[in-house]
Amino acid sequence: MMNGVLTIALNGFRESRRNRVTSVLVVFALILVFSVTVSVEFTFSTFDRVMADFGLGVIGLVTPALALFLSTGLIPREIERRTIFMVVARPVSRSAFVIGRYLGNLFTVGFLLLVMAILFLAQLAIMYATTNFGTGIHAPHLVALYGLALEMVLLTAVAFTFATLSSQFVATLMATCVYFIGHMAEDLFNLAQRTKVVPFKLLGTGLYYLFPNFDRLDFKDRATYLDATPMGELATATAYTAAYTVIMLLIATAIFERRDFK
Amino acid sequence: MVSAVETSGLTKIYRLDLLSGGKRIVALDGLSLKIEAGHVLGVVGPNGAGKSTAIKLLLDLIRPTSGTALIFGKPPHEAAARRDVGYLPENPAPYEYLTGAEFVRLAAELSGLRGAERNRRVDEVLGQVQMGNFASVQIRRYSKGMVQRIALAQALVARPRLLILDEPTSGLDVLGRKLIREIVLTEKARGTSILLCSHIIPDVEALSEDIAILIGGKLVKAGPVTELLSHEGSEVELSFEGLGQAQVEGWPFTIVTAGRRLVGRCAASEAKALINRAHDLGATLVSMHPIRQTLEDTFLAAVKAQGQQVGSVIE
Repeated sequence: MMNGVLTIALNGFRESRRNRVTSVLVVFALILVFSVTVSVEFTFSTFDRVMADFGLGVIGLVTPALALFLSTGLIPREIERRTIFMVVARPVSRSAFVIGRYLGNLFTVGFLLLVMAILFLAQLAIMYATTNFGTGIHAPHLVALYGLALEMVLLTAVAFTFATLSSQFVATLMATCVYFIGHMAEDLFNLAQRTKVVPFKLLGTGLYYLFPNFDRLDFKDRATYLDATPMGELATATAYTAAYTVIMLLIATAIFERRDFK
Repeated sequence: MVSAVETSGLTKIYRLDLLSGGKRIVALDGLSLKIEAGHVLGVVGPNGAGKSTAIKLLLDLIRPTSGTALIFGKPPHEAAARRDVGYLPENPAPYEYLTGAEFVRLAAELSGLRGAERNRRVDEVLGQVQMGNFASVQIRRYSKGMVQRIALAQALVARPRLLILDEPTSGLDVLGRKLIREIVLTEKARGTSILLCSHIIPDVEALSEDIAILIGGKLVKAGPVTELLSHEGSEVELSFEGLGQAQVEGWPFTIVTAGRRLVGRCAASEAKALINRAHDLGATLVSMHPIRQTLEDTFLAAVKAQGQQVGSVIE
């Protein structure tokens, strides 16, 4: 099974590399990250904060967009174009197909994140070394990038789950909603605790526990102010992402196992 | 010896959504058939007869509403059951971003072939389907015939014991059809069991040992080609000189051409009596030969008997 998963994953990565839309997005993302340097030219003070905030903000915008775009379209497109026939008819289980496709997307988005991260960190280091602006690379920057990687892992799994049961349009809509609700999870929970209307309280609390809490994985603000994140919190965030991702993939494979490919 | 394919009461019913009236469509209705190891079964039927549905059930692409299917004794939902199966779908859709060689290599890897053996088999099948010169071209640049050949190559790459071919010659030119017929014959000689679905009945007749006729989701006829055709082929064609059209009026004799010679058909059992009657009228029998019933005749008769249906809405 592992060989099948890896073969499908590597093929998915190759598909993204040859996909023109992905290439355009990659170029766009790199230009955006590079524009951090330009933004500093218009800054009078706190260069380090502007660089970190702008750079991580751009990466935090591009990565989920790419994760959503790639993950929600893939399975509906395979079924619609019937390319899936010649893969699923092979001695490959459907769960291997789903996990392989998921990993293929992860490789793609992960590769892009890695390239953007290297460019961002290089800018911090070069700027510090050549002009003495900013503070160079610090642990909170790396933690923020790690948080973005966790967010990508989880968001891809959520988008994949929706894609196994609906069209690309519906899956994109649903996954985008989950992404934004997940980023407002803490606010929703606090609001639910303050309200006196019981149904709202229950709804807010329910949504908080049901939806993935992307706020837990967001360390960008701490990178801006160079605030340290305790190791325990990082470990919890990692375990939370792993558990939620496994649950999402189990749901995705369970749905996919029952589907008819007409 | 375990059968290559065995189905029992295989049924697939699709439920339409509420906007479409919530009706149920019986795409396949209680299909029971068997393909013995090393045999070629040709499945013919009009559009919507359930041929592709049956294939998809065998490959676990869709799940049956009821009934069972076994491939070499294993249910198709077990991945291991599909290890020995090569599948060429109708209007195949390979990954267009891959080259022909990459696509066949992908198929080989998914079937568990690795390293030197995989590379050797990929080269072999690309040569077999005469695509060696285009192996490094992206599939998006292929013609329809080339796509069909590369799809056949991926079906053959893992040396399957069962080949499932859905409309393998559709949309191909004469050379392409000839090549595919030759490959099927080669595989047949190698002992591969083959399930061949096609609209092109002469192809099915030429390549198959057994035939199944599906109409409206139901199996209406099945058996060895020779048996099916010999049962139906009980007519003879007679040619007389010195016999007029008016003279045979009322005889159990269907005129084919009338001129200097009167040519017509009758049941083989009636032939002797008709020849005697013609002789009594002074006519001479010029020729007599049995009418060979083609599969197409059998198929058309079956369709006529059933009334052509595209699925059957039962509710």
